[in-house]
Amino acid sequence: MGPQILLAEHLTKRFGSFVAVDRVDFSLHEGEVVGIVGPNGAGKTTFFNLVTGYHTPDEGRVLFLGQDVTRASPRRRVELGLVRTFQLASTFDALPVVDNLILALFSRLHSGSDVRRLLATPRRRYYDDPRVQDALEQFHLSARRDRVVRHLSLGEKRRLEIAMAVLSNPRVLMLDEPLAGLSELEIHQVMDVLRSQVGRRSLVVVEHKVSHLLGFVQRLMVMHEGRVIAEGSPEECLKDPEVRRSYWRVGAESA
Amino acid sequence: MNGRLRWWAGVLVPFALLAAGRWVLPLPFVVEVLIFSVYTMACNFLLGRVGFISFGQPAYLAAGAYGTAFYLYYFGRDPLVGILVGLASGAVFSALVGLVFVRLRSDYFALVNLALAVIVYHLMQKVLAPITKGDNGLWFLDRMSSTPLLDLARPDGFVWFAWLVAVGVWALYKYLDDTVFGACCLATKTNEDKVKFLGYHDFKVRWTAFVLANTTAALAGSLYGVYFGFVSPEMASAARAADPVVVTILGGTGTLYGPLVGAVAFVGMKDLVSGVVGNWEFFVGLLLVVIMLAGERGIWGTLEPWLRRRLVWRRPAPALQE
Repeated sequence: MGPQILLAEHLTKRFGSFVAVDRVDFSLHEGEVVGIVGPNGAGKTTFFNLVTGYHTPDEGRVLFLGQDVTRASPRRRVELGLVRTFQLASTFDALPVVDNLILALFSRLHSGSDVRRLLATPRRRYYDDPRVQDALEQFHLSARRDRVVRHLSLGEKRRLEIAMAVLSNPRVLMLDEPLAGLSELEIHQVMDVLRSQVGRRSLVVVEHKVSHLLGFVQRLMVMHEGRVIAEGSPEECLKDPEVRRSYWRVGAESA
Repeated sequence: MNGRLRWWAGVLVPFALLAAGRWVLPLPFVVEVLIFSVYTMACNFLLGRVGFISFGQPAYLAAGAYGTAFYLYYFGRDPLVGILVGLASGAVFSALVGLVFVRLRSDYFALVNLALAVIVYHLMQKVLAPITKGDNGLWFLDRMSSTPLLDLARPDGFVWFAWLVAVGVWALYKYLDDTVFGACCLATKTNEDKVKFLGYHDFKVRWTAFVLANTTAALAGSLYGVYFGFVSPEMASAARAADPVVVTILGGTGTLYGPLVGAVAFVGMKDLVSGVVGNWEFFVGLLLVVIMLAGERGIWGTLEPWLRRRLVWRRPAPALQE
C-alpha cells in the first residue's frame, strides 16, 4: 500500500438542525480501492460533497497530498488530482460524446482557466487524438462517438462520465453510485471499466448495494445516520453486529 | 466539395442573398436587417450557447451608440474611428457589468439586465442630460467626414460596410462554435456543476462569453448611430428590450442562420407589413405564438431539416446543436 494521499478529519455538515455528516474520519492511500456503503440518507453523498468541494464542512478539514483543501474550489482539487463523478450521471447532454471527452482531455492538458487557449483551439484538433480514441474504445463508446449525449442510454452515459473522469488522469477517482439504475448487463460493463482502473489510481466508490462491491474493494466504510459505524475489510464489516443491526440489508443482500 | 469550400459556401450564400437584396429592396430595409442581425447574433449566442436570457440588450446597444455619438459629436469626425470608440466603450461597459451579472442565476440575470436598461435610459435622458442633450439626442450627421473606399457618411456606402460587419460577426460566432471554448460554453449551459468539477474556471468562461456578446450588441448600436447620424435615449428604451430575444426565438435559437432569418422576418414585418396594415407587433406576436406551438425551433430550425433533405446537404463535423 502506497503513502496516504487523502485524509478527512472530523468532517461535519449540518443542514439546519439535521446533521448529515457527523464527525467522519477517513483516510485513503495511493492505489487503494475503498467502498462506502450505507442505507439511503446515511450521508454518503454529503461526505463525498465535502471531500470534493461541492459543500464546505461546518467542522473538520480535508487534506489532499498534504495540502489543506477544506475550502479550496472544486477546480483546485481537480488540478491536484481529485476527480469525482455524480450520482445522476453528469455529462454534457447537448454535446456529442466526442466533445464531452475533448473537454475532459483539454482541462487536463491545459489549465481550465486559460480562456485564451480555449478560444484559440479548434475542437477538431482533438477529434483524432489517441487519448480520445483510447477512451472511446476502452469504454465501448466508439460507435457512439458523434451521437449527442442526450440520446444515450443511462449505462452509456455512466461509462462516458467515468471515461471523462479517467481522461482527467486523477490520483483519486471518487465515484458516487456508479451502478444506480443500471441493468445487470450494464452493471457488468461498468464494473469491468472500474476494474481496469485498479492499480492506476485510488478509487472511492459509494454504493447502495454492498453486494456489487464485494471482491472489488479492499476496504469498506459503513455509514449510518451521518456516522461511520464500521470500517475495515468487507468480511469484518459485514460481521459487525452494529452493521447487521442498523443496516440489516447489507447482511441480507450479501448473503 | 471539401470542407473549406463548404464552409465558405455556408458564409457566402446567405450573405450574397442579403447583398442582392440591396438592389431589390429599399436601402433602409437592408441596412436595418443587417444591423439588427448583428444585434440578434449577440443575443443568440447568449441564449443559445451560454444559456443567458437577457431582457436588457438595449443597455449594451446604447453603450456602443453613445460611445460613437460622444466621439463624433464632441471630438472627431471620422465615422470609422467613431465605431471603434463605440466598440471599445461597449467592451469596457460589459466587462465591468459582467463581473457582477455573470454570477447570477438565469432568471435573475434576465431581470437585472432589464433594470440596467432602465438605468442607462434614465442616465442618458436625465442625469447626463448636459452631455447627452436628453431627449433631443445628439445629432452629428453633418459632422461626419467621408471615409475612403466606402463612404460611411453616405447610406449607399454604409450599407456595404454594415454588410461586411455582419459577415465578420457571423464568421466570428461560426468560429467560436468550432473551438473548445464554444463547446465549453454549451457545456456550461447544460451542466454548470460538471464544468467546475472538470476543472474549468466557469466564471471566466461565462464572463468572456458575456463580454463578447455584449460588445457585439454595442457594435450594432454604433452602426445605428453612424447610420442615422443621431443617438437618443430611445436606444436604451426598455420598451424594446424583448426585441432581440423575440427575434432570436423567431429565427431559431442556437442556429447560426437564425438571427439572419429572424431579422429579415422581424424587420420585414415592421417595415413592410406596417405599410399595408397597422399593428405590426400584433403579427409578430401571433407568429411567435405559432412558432412556439410548432415546436420552439424557430423559422430556421424548422426550415433547415427540410432544406437539407432537398439539397442533400451534409455537414463535415458534428455541429453544436441547441
